[in-house]
Amino acid sequence: MTEDQLAVFIGSGLRLAMPIVLAGTGELLSQRAGVLNLSLDGMMLTSAFAAALASWLTKSPMVGLMVGVMASLALAYFQAVLSVTLRANQLVVGIGFNILALGATTFLYREIFGPLSRDTIPGFGKVNVPWLSDIPVLGPALFQQTGLAYLALALVVVTWALLKFTSFGLAVRAVGDDPRAADQAGINVTRTRYLGVLYSGALAGLGGAFMSVADSNTFTEGMTKGAGYLAITAVIFGGWSPWKTLGACLLFGFATALQFLVPAMKLDVPVAVLLMLPYVLALFAVAGFVGTNRQPAALTLAFRRGG
Amino acid sequence: MALLELAGVAKRFGAVLALDDINLDVARGEVHCLLGENGAGKSTLCNLIFGVHRPDGGRISFDGKPFSPSGPIDALRQGIAMVHQHFSLVGTMTVVENLMMGRARRVLEPREVIARMQRLADEYQLEIDPWRIVRELSVGERQRVEIIKCLLGDPQLLVLDEPTAVLPPEEVESFLTVCRRVADSGRGVILVTHKLAEIATVADRTSVLRHGRVVETVAMEGADMRRLVCSMIGHDIHTGDGVLAATLGLADAPAADADAIAQAAAHSRRGRDGGPPALLLKGVTYRDANGVTRLDDVSLTVHSHEIVGIAGVEGNGQSELGAILAGLADASSGQITVDGTDLTGAAPKDITACGVGIVPEDRHAVACVTALSIAENLCLGATERYSRFGLLDRGAMSKATAALMREFDVRASGPDAPMSSLSGGNQQKAVLARELSLSPLKFLLAAQPTRGLDVSAVEAVYSRIQAARDRGLGVLLISSELNELIAVSDRVAVMYRGRIVGEMAATAANREAIGAMMSGHSHA
Amino acid sequence: MLKRSATLAMHAPSQGTGGAPKLAPGALMKIAVPVVATVAALLVGLLIIASTGSSVTEAMLAFWDGMAGSGYNVGASINRAISLGFVGLGFIFANRANLTNVGGEGQIAIGGMFATAMALHGAASLPFGLAFVLPLLVGTLAGALWGGLAGVLKSSRGTNEVISTLLLTFIALPVVYWSVESVRLLRKPLTEVSSLPESAEIADPTKLPMLFPNDPTSPLHIGLVLFVIAVVAVWVVLKHSAFGLKLRAVGLNELASRRAGIRTGRLIVASMAIAGGLGGLAGAIMIQGQNYYLTNEFSSGYGFDGLVVGLLSRGSPLGVVVGALLFGFLRSGSIAMEITAHVPAAVVLICQGLIVIAVAGSTWLIDRKASK
Repeated sequence: MTEDQLAVFIGSGLRLAMPIVLAGTGELLSQRAGVLNLSLDGMMLTSAFAAALASWLTKSPMVGLMVGVMASLALAYFQAVLSVTLRANQLVVGIGFNILALGATTFLYREIFGPLSRDTIPGFGKVNVPWLSDIPVLGPALFQQTGLAYLALALVVVTWALLKFTSFGLAVRAVGDDPRAADQAGINVTRTRYLGVLYSGALAGLGGAFMSVADSNTFTEGMTKGAGYLAITAVIFGGWSPWKTLGACLLFGFATALQFLVPAMKLDVPVAVLLMLPYVLALFAVAGFVGTNRQPAALTLAFRRGG
Repeated sequence: MALLELAGVAKRFGAVLALDDINLDVARGEVHCLLGENGAGKSTLCNLIFGVHRPDGGRISFDGKPFSPSGPIDALRQGIAMVHQHFSLVGTMTVVENLMMGRARRVLEPREVIARMQRLADEYQLEIDPWRIVRELSVGERQRVEIIKCLLGDPQLLVLDEPTAVLPPEEVESFLTVCRRVADSGRGVILVTHKLAEIATVADRTSVLRHGRVVETVAMEGADMRRLVCSMIGHDIHTGDGVLAATLGLADAPAADADAIAQAAAHSRRGRDGGPPALLLKGVTYRDANGVTRLDDVSLTVHSHEIVGIAGVEGNGQSELGAILAGLADASSGQITVDGTDLTGAAPKDITACGVGIVPEDRHAVACVTALSIAENLCLGATERYSRFGLLDRGAMSKATAALMREFDVRASGPDAPMSSLSGGNQQKAVLARELSLSPLKFLLAAQPTRGLDVSAVEAVYSRIQAARDRGLGVLLISSELNELIAVSDRVAVMYRGRIVGEMAATAANREAIGAMMSGHSHA
Repeated sequence: MLKRSATLAMHAPSQGTGGAPKLAPGALMKIAVPVVATVAALLVGLLIIASTGSSVTEAMLAFWDGMAGSGYNVGASINRAISLGFVGLGFIFANRANLTNVGGEGQIAIGGMFATAMALHGAASLPFGLAFVLPLLVGTLAGALWGGLAGVLKSSRGTNEVISTLLLTFIALPVVYWSVESVRLLRKPLTEVSSLPESAEIADPTKLPMLFPNDPTSPLHIGLVLFVIAVVAVWVVLKHSAFGLKLRAVGLNELASRRAGIRTGRLIVASMAIAGGLGGLAGAIMIQGQNYYLTNEFSSGYGFDGLVVGLLSRGSPLGVVVGALLFGFLRSGSIAMEITAHVPAAVVLICQGLIVIAVAGSTWLIDRKASK
């Protein structure tokens, strides 16, 4: 493997990991509060499309980003209404939203752009961190990412601090482990869970927007390709801790990047194996290395006072 | 002026009238006890005061103003705090984190909370380490955290729901002293209990609740205990009604001891003559998933024709012992033999086949599937008996279940009624019916069998167990109700921190010694 | 002490739990809600079509034609329904034990792939109908293993089966892709004329016998018979067998079931394996009954649609049949609609998503009515 290939590999691994990192970090908060947000993929797809559309219309990727986040938040709000207030089965609701998002974005894309449109949309350019980006190999890979990537990493820190140092974070943890006790202690369980879902919606929105507006500068049907599910798996793999989840997301990102590295290195590995690699890793993760004793005890369980 | 006043308060759940025309008042500086048996409505009343339920009728006023909180948060804010039977603490978090829960600050300030906690600890003598994780605390310690949590909010009224149920006898007194001090500091205290002895110690006034109504309110000075009992259960108790007296925490008559000792001796003679012991535990040790030793070299023998009681505050290994005997957990080492058959590490089905009946401590989680019908629950372990070519014969199931229900006085609309529709007492009777009708039946484990049951159900359960004992069954009875245990068992073994720290005859004279061992002061 | 057995108040058994009469309070809601949701979603779909400027009538005509415009179309719709129905049956079977199998798509893929492999390598020459029976069995077994794996992970590791079956789907699909990409595996030999990534056509003896062999316009095959048998079998097992009761007990309370002596671990694996097996069978039938050769992505969403059918049926095999027919006909219609009237099939996806959300969101309504 040449130096160049290595740099490209690291860079693309990070790039591919970022949407997963964003979605995963948000999902972490939601799951810590007890809500399994299976519609993550749908949120990302919705946001990717909305961001692409808005960016194309206004020629401003920033506007695109904001619209994408708002679209994802809207979906998250409905998800919260169903999962928390109406106490619907969280898994079913998630699947439903994913189907809806796929259908809606595909339909709207075809209607607005036409099935053959390959227009690129205005996207975020790369940000060169001065001086650091001159380091050989690692420099270009690590320090020439789009601004959104650095934001993603910052958000990991923010989430960690939120959970550890604020009373909201404490409420989230309490609500996820023992909502009955939290309720009796005076915590508003419903509000906390809503905020958890909305938080994951906002970050999923950033993640989806990243894919269309910061990464590929286009939108394709179903472009998330299961990234949302990888994010959820990363949270479980990471034992519901922010740093380990980050590690798992990076792992999956790099596994996806192998798809490009392996042919470049002229290794005769079937494409299919590379395609399934992230998911195989994820399967090993949930099968073997889960710290189940750290799972939020009330995960996926709806809360009803007096119940 | 009264601190809290209830006038004509009523509460309905569906068709059931849980509280009916409640008239009650509590003054500042007063410890007001709520006396009543299980099911009388005490918890409902407390929850109503605390804002968990809304009253369906009547008026509540607090500190002179009308009081109708929108929920517990609102009640807390207005100055009413409640220490629940099942604590409102999150087990995975530390004490400090639990104390900070629900407080308005944005950024957590643990140091400030610890400082305030220290002041309270000094004032009321409630020592606790702020950095320990709650699920590792003993039940008594958790209760202390609950109380501190309530006091942090500087409440005017403190409601305590059956607080001494989880304390070893030694700690009850110091706890009641805390209650007294809290009241003396100018607050009102409502203490809910069904133990008369405690009321005598600490109450200023007592209100007796029965079937959702306040039967009477008496000042404790010069009050007649027997009359209170009458009001509570609706009829007088007879002398020698040892179990009932025990349930109510009345002092037992010493004359009954001689009888009890003679009976126990007779039972044990029959037992030892009759073949292999019903249960033989040798060196049983159990380490849980976190590596903590929950059972430490436990050795115990239960002969046929005898009831051995295990005394001990909850959390000293009883649950784990029950799980191992039921086949739901495997001992790390040691041997378990039932009627001469080695059942170490056996699966639940094999354990049942060897004649082991289990009445688990958690009815809803372990003993039955509440959404299924009574018939389905009673036949679940023996579907082969009721199926042909794999298809269920529901008619046979219903018939067999109906017969059992008649025999064990289980009240329900029929064998196909869902288990969840039964009262706690009837559910327990149904479970008992299933276990006691096992054939063969050599050994019965009854873990906390009367928890949450009203007096008549308690009587029914114990009389069945004793009758089975007389027919030759060996019984291991686990209970944290010491008086009941002594009244029903022949012998008592005490469990503390996973070890058997002592064994003695089940007499009232030994009560103090047993109580001391329950708190860790062993004699040997 | 106190024995009041003589005065035991025992009325005639009222509403049972297992054999509740159809007129139980919740039942009406159970049927009404999915119906209302479906109708509402379809209306929304029509609105969307109208909003694109396409002619709603043209779209509806094309839709109807695709669904039932000819004998052949009706038969094709039924065949589609069969695939959906098998997955739906598998879903409700596992769901009885509170297990959610969302891996239908992967189970179809794996089943179809192994059935093709068996059909192409050795089954063709077997006598007495084994030629088509064996590939069916192999496909079913492959699906059962795929589902059973998730069951094993759940019972031994506590792994959430939603995640594991989903991941297994994303693993199965590339496997099929691999098998038709590589000549060493199942891809048909490259010729100068064509080099599409697909398998060779399976031999005639391995194809499923037709139900109406003398009618060239009827695409119905014995898969329909197998489906009917499966529906009856699932219904009998769930409602009337000891195994069905145990499934239900484990789904409601695993600990109490274990205490009662049920081997819950084995039960979990068995129910996931059965669910997977039904999915694998669906895949095998798709290949042996309709497609006749293996292509990449032949499962084309049937697994997910079957999942939706299972969700909507709320545990009733009859509900699965109705739902499968509905979605089968819908799919035929939507394909025709896209080809003829140029309305994107994604509209039907939107409808499906709305239906799922509506039904999921109304469980509180159904439960409330049922408890009255």
